[in-house]
Amino acid sequence: MKTGFRIFLGTLFVLGLSWCGFVLGPVLQLGTQGQAAVLNSSDIYPNQRPGAATLGLQVYRANGCAACHTTQIGQDGVVCDVVLTGAGSDPAAVSNLISSLKLTGLSKDEADAVSGQITAAGGKSETHIVPVGPDISRGWGMRHSVAEDFLWDNPVQLGSIRVGPDLANVGMRYPLDWQLLHLYAPQSQVKDSMMPPFRYLFKVQKIGATPSPDALQLPEGFGPPAGYEVVPTEDANNLAAYLVSLRADVSLYDAPFTTASAPSTGTHK
Amino acid sequence: MNEIEKKYSAIDASCRLPLLVLFGVASLWLVIGLALEIIASLAFHKPDLFAGCPFLTYGRVLPAANNAILYGFAMPAALGVVLWIFARLSESELLLPLVPIVAANIWFLAVLIGVVGILIGDSTGFTWLEFPRSGSILLFAAFLLIAISAMATFGARRERVLKPPHWFLLAALFWFPWIYSSANLFLIAWPVRGVAQAVIGWWYSNNLIYVWLALVGLGVAFYLLPKIAGRPLQSQYFALFGFWTFVLFAPWCGIPQGAPVPSWLPTASTVAAFLMAVPLIAIAIVFVNTIRGVNIECKGGPYCYAKFAMAIFILNEAVMLIATGCPHCNAVVGMTWFMPAQVYLQIFGFFAIVICGAAYESLPGVMGFELPFRSFVRFQHWCFIVGSVLVALLLAICGIEQGLKMQNPEIHWHDITAGTLNYLKFSTLGLCLLLLGSLMFAANIFAATSTWLTRQAKAVAASLTESFEAEEVKS
Amino acid sequence: MSDDLKNSSQTPEGQKSPTAPVWIFALTLLLLFIGGVYFDRHSGWFDAQVYAPYQSSDELASYQPIAGAGAVLLEGKRTYEATCASCHGADGLGKPGQYPPLAGSEWVNASSFKRVEEIPQLGISGEIHVAGQDWNSQMLPMGAALSDADLAAVLTYIRHSWGNNGSEVDASDIKAMRALVAGHPALSGEAGLKAIKE
Repeated sequence: MKTGFRIFLGTLFVLGLSWCGFVLGPVLQLGTQGQAAVLNSSDIYPNQRPGAATLGLQVYRANGCAACHTTQIGQDGVVCDVVLTGAGSDPAAVSNLISSLKLTGLSKDEADAVSGQITAAGGKSETHIVPVGPDISRGWGMRHSVAEDFLWDNPVQLGSIRVGPDLANVGMRYPLDWQLLHLYAPQSQVKDSMMPPFRYLFKVQKIGATPSPDALQLPEGFGPPAGYEVVPTEDANNLAAYLVSLRADVSLYDAPFTTASAPSTGTHK
Repeated sequence: MNEIEKKYSAIDASCRLPLLVLFGVASLWLVIGLALEIIASLAFHKPDLFAGCPFLTYGRVLPAANNAILYGFAMPAALGVVLWIFARLSESELLLPLVPIVAANIWFLAVLIGVVGILIGDSTGFTWLEFPRSGSILLFAAFLLIAISAMATFGARRERVLKPPHWFLLAALFWFPWIYSSANLFLIAWPVRGVAQAVIGWWYSNNLIYVWLALVGLGVAFYLLPKIAGRPLQSQYFALFGFWTFVLFAPWCGIPQGAPVPSWLPTASTVAAFLMAVPLIAIAIVFVNTIRGVNIECKGGPYCYAKFAMAIFILNEAVMLIATGCPHCNAVVGMTWFMPAQVYLQIFGFFAIVICGAAYESLPGVMGFELPFRSFVRFQHWCFIVGSVLVALLLAICGIEQGLKMQNPEIHWHDITAGTLNYLKFSTLGLCLLLLGSLMFAANIFAATSTWLTRQAKAVAASLTESFEAEEVKS
Repeated sequence: MSDDLKNSSQTPEGQKSPTAPVWIFALTLLLLFIGGVYFDRHSGWFDAQVYAPYQSSDELASYQPIAGAGAVLLEGKRTYEATCASCHGADGLGKPGQYPPLAGSEWVNASSFKRVEEIPQLGISGEIHVAGQDWNSQMLPMGAALSDADLAAVLTYIRHSWGNNGSEVDASDIKAMRALVAGHPALSGEAGLKAIKE
């Protein structure tokens, strides 16, 4: 290699290539995205987060919640379940057919074949699209995260490591009160949690003439001394509102699933 | 001293002040950064240790520590070594020496603003880019200033043919301004919409940790190894091929599998990570051939540092090949402690060791006297090796175990986190060893600086006394 | 020191002059080919809608759920709760003295939906007998602004909920009905309903 100029040109070329691929490309493809249509509905998704939740995203950013939590779930695959919706004129024949067939965990082609068989026997059936994967089985969401889920967020806090559980759909699992209690004293809601208590987001104040309606109802051993109450600050309320707004349970073209199928109860596993 | 020795002695002396300031800034932030890392890791020993203090909560201290180490230590130390290498390869004294001195001070201010900004809650929220705007603008300006001095010195070379260290270090000088400005413009100044932010964030992180640090580290290692071994870099065609394939494929890695982005992005990264086998093989061949048959006693000196760092680099690249080039592996370990383990290995196991080795190699010549604490060099070597390997190994095993358990939805999340705790607690020990090593590095730098300052003061005092006595004699 | 001369690119004496390493070029081409095959299979060819685990736009299109009864019921429920539940109640029991119930209503449960489908479209006022009680209130045409699919979904939902046992209503039925009754005034009570041919 003779001259510095050749190195400059070569480096310009290779870095420019990757810049076009991973900066310009996504800006043109994803940065111009709009809201998407929800499948089998006239809704569009996503709606902008309510004001407190948008402020809560900034509290999330300022306190580095993304250092321990991700807000993105993946999906290993998708299967079809065939569900009988009508027995038709010959229920006995259809019932005999059903008992001999595999109806869950099918590929699309297999599901179409089974559907055809049921129709031929006079029954009516429906094919349900079911996402599968460890994140979904764990109750962390109903389908993989897509770009639309983060459309309104600035900055996007995807997180990169799961020291704590994923939060993509935490709004489906826990109500606002639980979030406030958990922020003040995580160990009171989750035994042996290693999340640090965010006590500085709250104020411990002397109980006035009447207790404040916002005071946290903490369990034994986690409450303030007698005569005092714990009240959330604006930051805590905004952060809790943001966490409660985190839910991505709509079916979209790029993340399809059958909405009528019973969602997993999503208890904290 | 013969002519050649005199020339190089003058070249080294011209680098003295810039290097002292840059290494001083670097060693100070290395100590502070590692102290912050230890504070962060204390969260896993006792979660409610800093519960009432917003400035020391894990989510703020960890980014502050990472940024302090990377922008406070790694970059200034790298730039100092680059200046020295360019001066020596050009066989010319360092040009514009005042510029790096000013820039180093601006750099210190930038990192101070940045780290304090993160701790008070002004972090931007993007990994490796958390410095608030004022800090990052100052940092960028300081980098450009130092690059100007480096390019001026490079331009003064007499031999027009470039040597392998030139390729890597010139590429690095060009790389950082582009990725840093792009990332700051698209993410912080005029933020793009939605998940495109995450893609640009991943592009930047990968290019900073796995491309920029590698370019500088390889350039420095490919300068040190031949210099100390007393023979030229072997297999130069492989070196050239390795360089070009490295800069071609490496910038495309970094998008994790399962990311909420269209699948062409993680697929492109998987293919690029897979193709990294080629530069890895080429660089490994160059390294092995260069050190083969060389009989130098190491004794924990700069040669040891360079050899160990290169071995760790090759190991880390091979691990990356599997962990990111194989989509199934990436799906398992992608969001676990395995990824930080690789970052630690890259920064401490490879980069810090090679750059400290270069610092130790340069200092005696640059200062004109031996290191104040010579035994610390070997001690630091062992602290860094054991510390970085301990942290990386513990976190890697922790991550693999965590990842495999995450694949099984039957395992309660609580059991998964409980299983990681012991690894995290022991990794604090590794961090303490790294801190010990960094204190030794800082001790040498600051002692050398103070020795030099005292000598300067004595020289000034002596010349004043002389002129005073001369006047007395006259009168 | 003279060691920097050792960094020169000249080959030392006595060594063979180095040949370009062809095998590594071949390896690179092989890996590029394998990478290309992988990219072809998994990237969806830059389609913005193809995400892992789907591997192509065709595969994604094949897994789109067809609007089945389940989806209609859920959509109908959502629209009902937004449009009708404030008066008729989320439980379909209405409000005593004000709004008649839909649960157990003979008009909702009728085997033909031709009468009940005109109620939300045109509105109704005047005397009407529902589930054993007499009612005399006014209902505005709450369903006139809904799309064909949404109104069909609501009607399907109320005919399938709270123990009701009616048939489905299709968007095409609603479309036909709307063409038929365009410009008609509100229905006048039970007499108006009975005037509709079933």
